[in-house]
Amino acid sequence: MPHINPDFSTEIKKYGAKDFELCFNCGNCTAICSLSTANESFPREMIRYSTLGLENELKSSLKPWLCYYCGECSSDCPRQAHPGELMMSLRRWITAKYDWTGLAGLFYKYIAAYIIGFLLIIAGVIAFASLKDFNQEVIMHYGHYFEMFAIAGVFAVVLVPNIIRMWIYTIIKPKVKAPFKSYLSAFSELIVHMFIQKRTLSCEDTRETRIRWFEHLILVIGYLSLLFTTVFLDWFGSQNLFVIVLGYIQSAIIFVVTFDFVLKRIKKKSELHKFSHPSDWFFVIWLFFMGITAFMIRLFIDVNIIENNFWLYLFHLIILVQWAVIIVPFGKWTHFLYRSFAMYFSRIQEIGALLKK
Amino acid sequence: MKKQRIGVYICHCGGNISDYVDVEQLSKLIKDEEGIIISKDVMFACADSNQKDMIQDIQDQKLDAIVVASCSPKLHTHTFRNVAIRAGINQYNYAQVNIREQCSWAHSDTPMDATIKAYGLIRAGMNRVSYSEALENVEIKTHRAVAIVGAGVAGMRAAIDSARMGNHVYLLEKDFFVGGHVAQAGKLYPTNEDGKEVVSKLYNTIRQMPNITLFTGAHLERVSGSVGSFTVEVKISPRYIATNADPQKVHRVFTDCCPENSNPLLYKDKEHRIMYKSYPEACPDIPVVDVERLQSNVAFYEKYKDIFDVNQQLQLLKLNVGSVLVTTGFDFYQPTEGEFGFKQSDKVITLPEFKKLVESNSDQLIYNGKPISSVAFIYCVGNRQTKGENKYCSRQCCAATIHTSIQLHEKYKGVKAYHVYRDIRTYGKQELLYQKSSQLGDIYLKYEEKEPPVIDCSGTRPLVKVKDYLTSKKEISFDTDLVVLVTGMVAREDRTEIASILKIPIGSDKFYNEIHPKLKPVETVIGGVYIGGACQGPKNIAESVQSALSGAAKINALIKRGTIALEPIVARINADACVWCGKCAEVCEYDAIKMVELNGKQIAEVNPATCKGCGICAPVCQPDAIEIVQYTNNEIESMIDGFMSQVDIKEKEVDAESHEEAKAGMKEYPQVWNQIVTLLDGQKLTIPQISEQLGQESNVITYHLMTMNKYSVVEPAGLDDDEAYFYYKLKK
Ligand SMILES: Cc1cc2nc3c(=O)[nH]c(=O)nc-3n(C[C@H](O)[C@H](O)[C@H](O)COP(=O)(O)OP(=O)(O)OC[C@H]3O[C@@H](n4cnc5c(N)ncnc54)[C@H](O)[C@@H]3O)c2cc1C
Ligand code: SF4
Ligand code: SF4
Ligand code: SF4
Ligand code: SF4
Ligand code: SF4
Repeated sequence: MPHINPDFSTEIKKYGAKDFELCFNCGNCTAICSLSTANESFPREMIRYSTLGLENELKSSLKPWLCYYCGECSSDCPRQAHPGELMMSLRRWITAKYDWTGLAGLFYKYIAAYIIGFLLIIAGVIAFASLKDFNQEVIMHYGHYFEMFAIAGVFAVVLVPNIIRMWIYTIIKPKVKAPFKSYLSAFSELIVHMFIQKRTLSCEDTRETRIRWFEHLILVIGYLSLLFTTVFLDWFGSQNLFVIVLGYIQSAIIFVVTFDFVLKRIKKKSELHKFSHPSDWFFVIWLFFMGITAFMIRLFIDVNIIENNFWLYLFHLIILVQWAVIIVPFGKWTHFLYRSFAMYFSRIQEIGALLKK
Repeated sequence: MKKQRIGVYICHCGGNISDYVDVEQLSKLIKDEEGIIISKDVMFACADSNQKDMIQDIQDQKLDAIVVASCSPKLHTHTFRNVAIRAGINQYNYAQVNIREQCSWAHSDTPMDATIKAYGLIRAGMNRVSYSEALENVEIKTHRAVAIVGAGVAGMRAAIDSARMGNHVYLLEKDFFVGGHVAQAGKLYPTNEDGKEVVSKLYNTIRQMPNITLFTGAHLERVSGSVGSFTVEVKISPRYIATNADPQKVHRVFTDCCPENSNPLLYKDKEHRIMYKSYPEACPDIPVVDVERLQSNVAFYEKYKDIFDVNQQLQLLKLNVGSVLVTTGFDFYQPTEGEFGFKQSDKVITLPEFKKLVESNSDQLIYNGKPISSVAFIYCVGNRQTKGENKYCSRQCCAATIHTSIQLHEKYKGVKAYHVYRDIRTYGKQELLYQKSSQLGDIYLKYEEKEPPVIDCSGTRPLVKVKDYLTSKKEISFDTDLVVLVTGMVAREDRTEIASILKIPIGSDKFYNEIHPKLKPVETVIGGVYIGGACQGPKNIAESVQSALSGAAKINALIKRGTIALEPIVARINADACVWCGKCAEVCEYDAIKMVELNGKQIAEVNPATCKGCGICAPVCQPDAIEIVQYTNNEIESMIDGFMSQVDIKEKEVDAESHEEAKAGMKEYPQVWNQIVTLLDGQKLTIPQISEQLGQESNVITYHLMTMNKYSVVEPAGLDDDEAYFYYKLKK
């Protein structure tokens, strides 16, 4: 029998939840949510579990990932319990639960952890640079290597094990009986949702929804392709005009879109942007800096102001390392993965449930 | 003496009656009956013009009685009684016969039968009125004094206002201290005031008002008389404190002899004490002596002898009042042993007990020597029982509980509250309390009556298991330090005492019953007896005070007039036939019959002011010496004869001419209807007002309005100030 954990509310508040205790279970939020269905009904249920602190129920649920934070529920909640923000906080919390290292929880809960992490990286990068006598070429060379190894390392050490944990929590422990075949047939869900986020479009069809989806889409494409362009086509070193222009476009997309994101978070006009957790800020700001510094570096190379470029590159490298070592494995970046896997697992659960019948 | 000159008026009511009942034929048939001087069919009996005609007829033809065959007596009895008075005959020489609701409307499928029935009813009315007597209303002088029974908030507040209106108030409190439940309730929602302070404030105001006499320890013994003039007999129990005792010394002895209350959960603490007060600040500020304990403790008695007076006696008082307001309040529901673990575990207590606990613990919540860090409230205990007796909701317990829970957070650090409820009924502004409690992190779980929570007290801390309807009926458990049963209100255990003395009906919920919950919310079926506060059903303080004040206002309106006219429909004794067997006096519920001596003979006598004309006494009288005025044997028997008399009614001939006329009239409908509809949009008007504003004869307006009423276009909206005409408004 589930036992109430009254301290959970204090815990989840550290992840950003606001006023969700105010919920009086009217169910308006679930009724209004365009993504909630009869089989996958939320967010009220998630709020209820949070109120009672039923961690096992929460941990095994994929519902936090099914919400795309349109904010409809929050704007219609008669008690201003901000259900949308609770769903967001649950995503942070659940990410921390998936993370075997425990660092994600630390970063989400304590902004100090972030700052210490960032500072350590700054010190590390500068120390490394001084070790290499601040030689730009050498450092750029290593930076290039770092990118490649960081991606592989973060995936192998953190993200893949975490996704396995997610699979254990949501498929194995709840004893979902799905044949191996279903893993293959559901695979398309993973790809579709990872790259085009089509679920966003199932939210209420407004101009904002479409803009949001579009921005997100080009950001994902811009980000992934820039990654490719820098890592595999060596943008900073390339002489190929096509590659150079491509890199410019990609990095421009990143900083323009993220600049818009930052603005929106400052203006707080929509529910989505009302409450920004430090992890949200770090995510958009770091992405913005990555885009803009990459752009500038290439620009400086092209207009030959090489002296200033070193410090700029160093800055870029610091941002890059912070991004790759903190934000990607332990911060908001993981949404990108977990969300798509959630859709994948959810489909598998569905097949399992169908077979049971 | 039989009436010999009777006038009969049969009404068409536009077409409401005459469409089905052949009123013309009836009036012709009746014209030839014995004693009938005038028999007319009229378009609208109630219309001004007809009223004038009737007066003229009565005066010209020297009529001595009239019959109006039209609509329900509820509608127009006053109208035609007035006609009689204006014409100079007695208002009781008039009979109303209802041939609309009882004939034309009820039997519109069979017009012939409707006409035959109407004939019977009119004959019955004629016969009755021929035996009618000229009667005078019973005039009663009213005492400008009120007895208010029960000095809780409701009673005290009503006493103050009643006195301010210029009445003398006798405030009778059964207990030795005033204030009722509020005095013991600690902090109150919604204002967070302290119950004791509320009571002290009211008490101090009462003390300053010379025209309020407060009796404590007062038991209502008997009430006789009737509206305007009751005699209330009260027994006053003594406090056994000498009247000339020095108050300061009394106070000293009291604090000396009586240590602070030992059990903080106790609502009233009389246990083991020679002198007691319900709480230190209780009003009046004079302790009460338990005389048996005092006498068994000789040493104590000898030591403080001078402040006691053990010879004080019960006092019996008779008070004359014009009206009685009952504000005797309620009892807490007492859970049965084992109900949610009550009495089986000392960790299960009731809300009133818990409130006392909170009141007596200032910095840390301690119960039985152990600190309490979590509390589970179980709602609706003893209330809303679909199968049990208390089907109602106590209205105030949700808010009281939530308010108490908020206090926990404000007073103590880190106390967790669980609310196991069925529905939260924090209506009105109390909703804010609910919101605040959620905000403070209180956890709410919802159960259904059929699956109540289970409280397991076998471990060190009670474990509560709830099938939570908010979590898809999952069984959820939690442990807690204390379980508080939210017990609501029940009718007072001693409710029947007052009910039988004052004849107030008791409802199926066991609370006292008003006449009509919406329209007569504080009136009882007994004239002059009103109810207010929680004796009528669960109410919070605001509602209790509101109802008691409206009772006070009603009473004031009643008794300030000086006299009250009662209908003379009462029992009458035939002194010759009566042998004073006393049977009638025995059965009379209203004590209206007394024995008197008349010319050396003992006979029964009826007090017309108290007699309600219920008629119970008449059939028990063996020598048949009792008659009920207006319902005498002659009247009733002749009515039966009249109703049964045979008649030969001919089928109504529909002549083509009048049919054409009617058709022409129909054509005009839309126009007049439209005018009326436009005029009535958003307001209510009487027929004379409409006819004036439209410049139409009131006959025509009445006709259309009645038809519009029948087809649900308009509906009546109450009487005007003179109670002469009905208002009409558009029916939505
Ligand atoms: C646990 C609890 C908490 C509550 N908290 C709140 C709150 O915070 N806020 C709020 O608005 N309401 C509250 N209420 C409701 C409130 O207590 C009642 O509305 C209020 O007490 C009703 O007042 P009353 O005068 O009608 O009745 P009572 O308070 O019951 O007073 C009746 C008085 O009549 C006397 N009496 C009874 N019989 C006789 C008799 N035969 N002759 C002479 N005298 C007699 C009694 O001794 C008593 O003094 C609470 C109720 C409960 C049960
Ligand atoms: S709309 Fe608000 S109050 Fe209603 S269930 Fe959702 S969160 Fe709770
Ligand atoms: S934020 Fe939008 S998608 Fe998320 S739960 Fe609320 S309504 Fe549903
Ligand atoms: S007020 Fe609340 S606790 Fe009291 S009976 Fe009604 S629903 Fe139950
Ligand atoms: S019952 Fe009849 S006879 Fe007996 S006392 Fe009454 S009136 Fe007289
Ligand atoms: S009619 Fe008879 S029984 Fe009824 S109240 Fe009058 S005297 Fe009493």
